[in-house]
Amino acid sequence: MSLNPTLAAELRDRYAAGSARLQEEFTSSGDGRAAVHARAALVESIASRLWQELVSPEIEGPPGFALLALGGFGRRWLFPYSDIDILFLHADGNTDPDLKDRVQKFSQEMWDLRLKLSPATRSLAECERFDANNVEFAISLLDCRYLAGDRDLFARLHQQSVPKLVSRESRSIVQRLTDLTRARYNKFGNSVFHLEPNVKDGPGGLRDYNLAHWLALVAGMEERSGWPDEADLLPAWLRPRFDAALNFLMSVRCFLHFTHGRDDNTLAWSAQDQAAARTIGVPDADSLATEDWMRIYYGHARLIHRVAAQLLEEFPAARPSLYRQFQNLRSRLSNAEFAVVDGHIFLQREESLKDPELPLRMFRFMARHGLSLSSATEHQLEEILPSLAKDPPKGVAAWHYLQEILLAPHAAEALRVMHSLGLLALLLPEFHAIDSLVIRDYSHRFTVDEHTFVAIENLHALRKSQSKWDQRYAELLAEIEQPDLLYLAVLLHDTGKGVDPDHHVAASAKVAEKCLERLDLDAPDRETVLALIARHLEISNFLRRDIFDPGTIRQTAEKTGTPEQLKMLCLLTYADIKAVNPEALTPWKAENIWQLYIATANFVMRSADDRLHVEADDEVLAHLRTLAPAAGKRIDAFLDGLPRRYLRTQAASDVIRHMEMSSHLGEDSVQLDLTRGRHWYELTLVTRDRPFLFAKMAGTLAAWGMNIVKASAFSNSAGVVVDTFLFTDRFQTLELNLPEWERFKKSIHDVLTGQADLDQMLRDRLRGEKNVEPKVKVDTRIEIDDECSPHTTLVEVITQDRPGLLYRISSQFSHQNCNIEIALIETEGQMAIDVFYLTSAGDKLSPEHQSRLRAALLTELASN
Amino acid sequence: MTKVEAIIQTSKLDAVKDALQEVGVEGMTVLEARGHGRQKGHTEFYRGREYTVDLIPKIKIEMVLADGLAEKAVQAIVTAARTGKIGDGKIFLSKVDDAIRIRNDERGETAL
Repeated sequence: MSLNPTLAAELRDRYAAGSARLQEEFTSSGDGRAAVHARAALVESIASRLWQELVSPEIEGPPGFALLALGGFGRRWLFPYSDIDILFLHADGNTDPDLKDRVQKFSQEMWDLRLKLSPATRSLAECERFDANNVEFAISLLDCRYLAGDRDLFARLHQQSVPKLVSRESRSIVQRLTDLTRARYNKFGNSVFHLEPNVKDGPGGLRDYNLAHWLALVAGMEERSGWPDEADLLPAWLRPRFDAALNFLMSVRCFLHFTHGRDDNTLAWSAQDQAAARTIGVPDADSLATEDWMRIYYGHARLIHRVAAQLLEEFPAARPSLYRQFQNLRSRLSNAEFAVVDGHIFLQREESLKDPELPLRMFRFMARHGLSLSSATEHQLEEILPSLAKDPPKGVAAWHYLQEILLAPHAAEALRVMHSLGLLALLLPEFHAIDSLVIRDYSHRFTVDEHTFVAIENLHALRKSQSKWDQRYAELLAEIEQPDLLYLAVLLHDTGKGVDPDHHVAASAKVAEKCLERLDLDAPDRETVLALIARHLEISNFLRRDIFDPGTIRQTAEKTGTPEQLKMLCLLTYADIKAVNPEALTPWKAENIWQLYIATANFVMRSADDRLHVEADDEVLAHLRTLAPAAGKRIDAFLDGLPRRYLRTQAASDVIRHMEMSSHLGEDSVQLDLTRGRHWYELTLVTRDRPFLFAKMAGTLAAWGMNIVKASAFSNSAGVVVDTFLFTDRFQTLELNLPEWERFKKSIHDVLTGQADLDQMLRDRLRGEKNVEPKVKVDTRIEIDDECSPHTTLVEVITQDRPGLLYRISSQFSHQNCNIEIALIETEGQMAIDVFYLTSAGDKLSPEHQSRLRAALLTELASN
Repeated sequence: MTKVEAIIQTSKLDAVKDALQEVGVEGMTVLEARGHGRQKGHTEFYRGREYTVDLIPKIKIEMVLADGLAEKAVQAIVTAARTGKIGDGKIFLSKVDDAIRIRNDERGETAL
């Protein structure tokens, strides 16, 4: 039986005219929902006509056979160029060959009319069986809709077979859906915030909307063993926003189809410009800039993605039993404020929302444990945000919470949710400027805010990475004294793109200044964060040059500030490049950054004795003079002859403090200052240089059981030394006994003024201590470099850290008539890394002297 | 048709790209590479560990050109990339049998 040519022509014309009409209507109204419904109705009318012509003159015939719409067609959504999913359903055992021919002819004619069919043929029994390799078919049945044929047969499928299938197989269906969704998210970098997103398959796209709908349906069917009410599928408060997001995406997808003339769902840049100009999906707007239109897109996509991801997480069947056991263990994380159920955070008591700090505690909790907020909790937070906005968190308390969130292993996830709920903008209003901000750049994959979160994620991910390069950077991260400042700099480093994209570095520094003031950071910490932001592109810039050229290395050292800042900038560069797109940080680049870093770090170490001359034009010097105008010439006298490294490693406030200490040397020749830092105690000594000075300081600390972690020693041209020791209090002597602070300082004073016997103190200490076998063996290496400095000989000692080590090394220097001009002491785990710039009688060490010193040190360090 | 492969210093990429564009080269492929010729590597010590750099980072540029353009491209690269020191790099030329444009099946020099 073939189709009458007149009818064929009529149907062809009907489809062409109908398609043209709906395109015109869309062009004028921009209403995607109306367009997809109209196309569904058009295709349905053609399918019904063809059915009657070729299969059965009665629309509800033949018995035992039916034509159903599935998937999008079943939902009455047919996008302009999407496929048409249909099912030929037959009663079991119905294999009439003539019927087969008619169905084949029907499909052929639909194709000839340019309707891209995706047909399936199943018996009723087959529809009740679940095929794990074809979960898409089971899912498509959730949207099945009668078109023609045996109504009873359809009713049996819809009312009995589908609910039975879903109730029986909900766990498997959802598990497969989860797997498919994860694979889909991975394909799109697990982010909504692509610069050219896919509005159908990308996270937050139409597929996610469908996913949310299906999960809600399956959950409802599981509960009722029948079809739930559509109105009950999602909470009432969510529905209007969810529907608005759907309307927007429908309009965008229709726009893309009509623009491209095919099923192309990528919102490329050119399409974004056109969509914005036509205010697609935003009928009330007159005109929109592209970045503003894209913000609207991201807002909708973010909501859809959040809801879909939450439903997936909260669906018990989505997770295998082992995972559920793990999540149940995590329920033990519940505390007085938060209940943890299946990895989701609930509030124990709703009244706790009255506490304005509760949200920050919640996100800190989330960041520490890698939990998610339940949808109920998110809704509760959204409700209180307006009242929080009246008096947003600020000051030191806010900074402490943010600090803890930034340092926690799941910081990025917490920050994303804070951002999407609007809480991050309360804490840092300037962050709003980069909310879903698109900066067009062929290498950047993500919006600016997402790029920032990915960069923070990259740093935290270093801890667990197995890659050779990541492990090196992970070691560097472990050396950072104040990683919270690094993370804060990463968070703020691109905020300037929302203000002045062409000069974003300077703009970001300006934006950050306001943030840091609001968070009431200490002045030295502010300086560090601002320096990192202002310099965050320097290493990238130097990578384009010959990284082994001494000139490049010297300039890198000059541009990257203190050694600590150099480490932080290296890590910031690593995280920043890796966050551009997943392929941006090639092993080639990672190695080059590393090589440049170590060459620069070594240069800085080897040029530590480059001395300051106060007559020279130096901006740091000028800055110090403005900070202490009353000091007058005293500041010049203090600084003259000190190494530049001293200025690079000391905050301005500390330099002035040291200068004040030196001005009191007439009253007391030993000036001491002891403070407690976050990780260590810090002891500063300002006095006149004399033999065995450094050794005595190191010895006294060892005699008190202190473990020196870092130290530095500098002297100026007047022979005044500034020695700083950072140490841990192994036996909690100072921690537990406040009066001991004064006794400790007096003890040092007495040793340095010859009133106490250091050797006796050390014997007493060492007698009481046990020899502990080190966990990691470090071989001793001594490097002597006579060329890096014109005035001094550099000696680097790398050896096993042990109590009293620095005293032993520095004593050997003194015994060998070496004067320590500069000392740079660091400890890494069990490894001591000590660098000394030495002179003897005011000159570099002769080769023979170097050999004697080397032998003496090796002998000393070989003994226990 | 001639394939031109040039290994140059990383710092010379922008200058070489500009020079090639000036002589009319419109397409090229840029690859990150490591290597050495007579320019040997060195060892850097950091925190007690040795880091040997025996393969220096380089950039490799590849392009297939009409025979008439190849020599101009070579001269452009040499002029832009030369510093006179060891490590400047090398250029290799080879004959190409055919070139095909995937989009429309064009072949030969018109596909370039």
